[in-house]
Amino acid sequence: MSLKRKAVGSRMWALAVLVVIGAGLLVAAEGTIKLGAVLPLGDITGKQGSKGMQLAVAEINAAGGVLGRQLELIVVDDESKPDKGAAAIDKLATVDNVDVFIGGMSSGVHLGELPALKKYEKVTVWIGAASSLVEQAVVGLDWYFHIHPWDYLQGASYVEGWAAIQAGYSGVTINKVFWAYEEGAFGTSSYQGSLVAFSNWENVGESFKSALLGGGDYRAVLRHAQEFNPDLFIWVGYAADALPIMEQAKEIGFTPPLFVGSPPGWPADFGGSPLANGVMAYGMWAPSIKNVSPVSQHFWDAYIAMFNENPATYFAPLGYTNVYVVAEAIARAGTLEKAALITALEATNYASPVGETLTFTPSNLIAHQGFRSQKILQWQYGQQQVIWPFEYATAVLDYPYTGK
Amino acid sequence: MTLLRTLRPERVLLLLVFLGVLVLMMLWKPYALIEGLQRGGLYALIALPMALILGVVGIINLAHGEFMMLGAYFAYWLGVYTGLDPLVAMVPALAAFALLGATTYLVTIRRALKAPELNQLLLTFGIAMVAAEFANLMWTSQPLKPHLSYVYSSMTLGKLRFGTYAFVYTGGALLLLALLTLFLRRTRLGRAALAVGQNPRGAKLVGIDINRTYLLIFSVSIALVGAIGAMFLTRHSVFPAAGAAFTMKSFCLIAMAGIGNLPGVVWGGFGLGVAEALVLSFRGYGGWADVVFFAVLVAVIMGKSYRRQTA
Repeated sequence: MSLKRKAVGSRMWALAVLVVIGAGLLVAAEGTIKLGAVLPLGDITGKQGSKGMQLAVAEINAAGGVLGRQLELIVVDDESKPDKGAAAIDKLATVDNVDVFIGGMSSGVHLGELPALKKYEKVTVWIGAASSLVEQAVVGLDWYFHIHPWDYLQGASYVEGWAAIQAGYSGVTINKVFWAYEEGAFGTSSYQGSLVAFSNWENVGESFKSALLGGGDYRAVLRHAQEFNPDLFIWVGYAADALPIMEQAKEIGFTPPLFVGSPPGWPADFGGSPLANGVMAYGMWAPSIKNVSPVSQHFWDAYIAMFNENPATYFAPLGYTNVYVVAEAIARAGTLEKAALITALEATNYASPVGETLTFTPSNLIAHQGFRSQKILQWQYGQQQVIWPFEYATAVLDYPYTGK
Repeated sequence: MTLLRTLRPERVLLLLVFLGVLVLMMLWKPYALIEGLQRGGLYALIALPMALILGVVGIINLAHGEFMMLGAYFAYWLGVYTGLDPLVAMVPALAAFALLGATTYLVTIRRALKAPELNQLLLTFGIAMVAAEFANLMWTSQPLKPHLSYVYSSMTLGKLRFGTYAFVYTGGALLLLALLTLFLRRTRLGRAALAVGQNPRGAKLVGIDINRTYLLIFSVSIALVGAIGAMFLTRHSVFPAAGAAFTMKSFCLIAMAGIGNLPGVVWGGFGLGVAEALVLSFRGYGGWADVVFFAVLVAVIMGKSYRRQTA
C-alpha cells in the first residue's frame, strides 16, 4: 500500500514537472511580439521618433499588451546611411527575428533598405521616406504600408491649402513665387516637384548652399528674391539654415508678404527669435494641435511625463502612431500570420495625435498609403499654429509678414 | 618713396590691377565686393590658426574645423547658462581651448610627430571624428543658434543697403594677422617658433626647446580657433558637422598661399570670398561658386609652380 502510494506520488511529481516544462515552453513559444525599428538615432527626428515608439509600447504593455503578449521594441540606428540601414534590416530579421518592421526616415536611406526588406517580405509599416522614387520601388508589395504622404501628395495638399487661404483671407493673393532651395537632392527634387504642382503661379527658383554642406551665406539668393518682389518666398533647406536666413533677410531688408520655410525640422531656438513671428511652415503636426485634438493632448502630456522634454518634431507623434497602428492591427487579426495581419492593417482607422484619422488607401502606385496631406503652419509668438486645414486651425493667419 | 622704390614693377602692376578690379566691382557689383570681403574674412580668420600649426609644427590638422565647432558649442552653452554673449565668450573660450589644445597635443600629436605624414593625417582625422561624434552624442544633430539682434545691423548708402556686422570677420582676420605677425617677429617665443618651423634641427642645436615650442603653438592655435568658433556662432548655426567644410576651405587657402605665408592666407581668403560672391551675384549661377573657388585655387598653385620653374 505504501509502495503504491509512493508510485502514485512519483507520477504526480512527474506530471507536475511536465506541466511546468510545458508551460515554460508555451511561454517561450508565445514570448513577446517583436517590432523592429530602423531610425537615425543621431538625428532629432530619429531620436524623438524612437521615443514616440517607446511611449506607445509602454502604454500598450501597461494595458496588458497585445493578444496577451508584451510588445518588444528593438531599435537599430541607421546613422542616416543606406548601407547601415540595410544591415539593420538584416540584423533585425535574422538575429532578432522580429515580427514586423517599423520606422524610419530619409528616402535615400530607405532606398538602400528596400532590397533587404524585399528579401524577408515581412509586414512593414513605414513612417518616413516621402520621395516618389521610393513609391516606384515598392509597387506591388502587398506587405508594405506607407504612412507619410508622398512628395506629390504633399505638393497637391499645399496647392489646395494656399488656394483655400487665398479664398479664406481677403487680401492674400499669390501670383509670383520665388523658390530658394538647397542645392542637394532634397532641395532640388522639392523644387522640381513643386513646379509641377504650382504651375499656375509665376515661379522663379535659385539654389543655395546649405549650412549643412558648408554654406551659410544666403544674401545673394535673398537679394535676387528681393529684386523679383514675390508674393510668396519659400526656402527649402535644413534646420541649420533657418535662423541665419531670417537674420540675413532682415539685414538686407527683405520682407515678402508670405515668408515660408520648408525644412524637415526646425532648430530648437527658432520660435524664440522675434524674426520667426509670422514665418509660415509646412508640417504634419504642431504642438498647438493638442488644443483641438484630445489624442494629441494625451500624447503631448504622456511624452513629456516619460522623457521630460517637449516633442519638437512631427516624427515623435508619427513614431507613436506607427506602433499603435501595428498593435491594433495585430489585435484585430488575432494572430501574427502575414495575410491576416495585412487584412487587419487594411482596416486601420486610427485617430492619430497628428490630427487626422489614419486609414490606408491606394496612392498613385501603391495599395497602402496612409496620410495624404500636410498642414500649413505659422510661427506665432514662439509657437507653431495650424492655419490650414481650417478644421484643425489653431490660429488665424498673421498677414503680411513684417520681419519684426 | 622708399616703399615705392623697393616695390618691383610686376608687384606694382599686380597692385594696380587689384585696385582696378576693386573699383570696377564697387561700381558694377558693390554687394558682391562687400559681401565677398566679409565671407573671405571668415575664411581667412578660420584658416590662420591652421596655417600657424602647419607652418610651425608641420602637421595638417584635419580636426581644425571640429575644434571650431566645439568652440561654437562652448559659447552657446556658456550663453545658455550664464547669459554671456558669444563675442564675450571668446575670452573664456581662449583659455578653455588653450587647455584642450595642450591636452590634445600631449596625449596624441606629440606621439605622432616622427610618424609618417599619412599617420599624422589619420590621427587628426580620428580626432575630428571623435569630436564630431562627441558633439552628436552630447547635443544631437539639431542645430543651435542664439538670437542676436546685432548680427543683422545694416547701413544704407543711397540705394545700397548692406550688413555691417559681418565686417567683424574681415576686421578679425586683419587683426589676427597683425597680432600673429607681431608675435612671430617681435617676441622671443615667436622667433623661436619661426626658427623651429624653418629648421627644427638647427633650432634644437641653438638650444630651442622644440617640444615646448610645438606645445605652445598648437595650444595657441586651438585656443584661437575655439574663440573663432564663438564668433562663428553669432551668424551661423552650430551642429556636429558644422566645422568639417571649413577644414577643407582652410587647407585649400593655405595650399594656395604657401606654407608659412600668413598674409597670403588672408589676401587669398579675401580673393576667394570676392570671387565666390561675384559668381553668386548672377542669378542662377550660384552652383558655380565652388567651381570658381577651386579653379582660382588650382590656377594660383599652377602659377606659383610655373614661376618657381622659370625663376
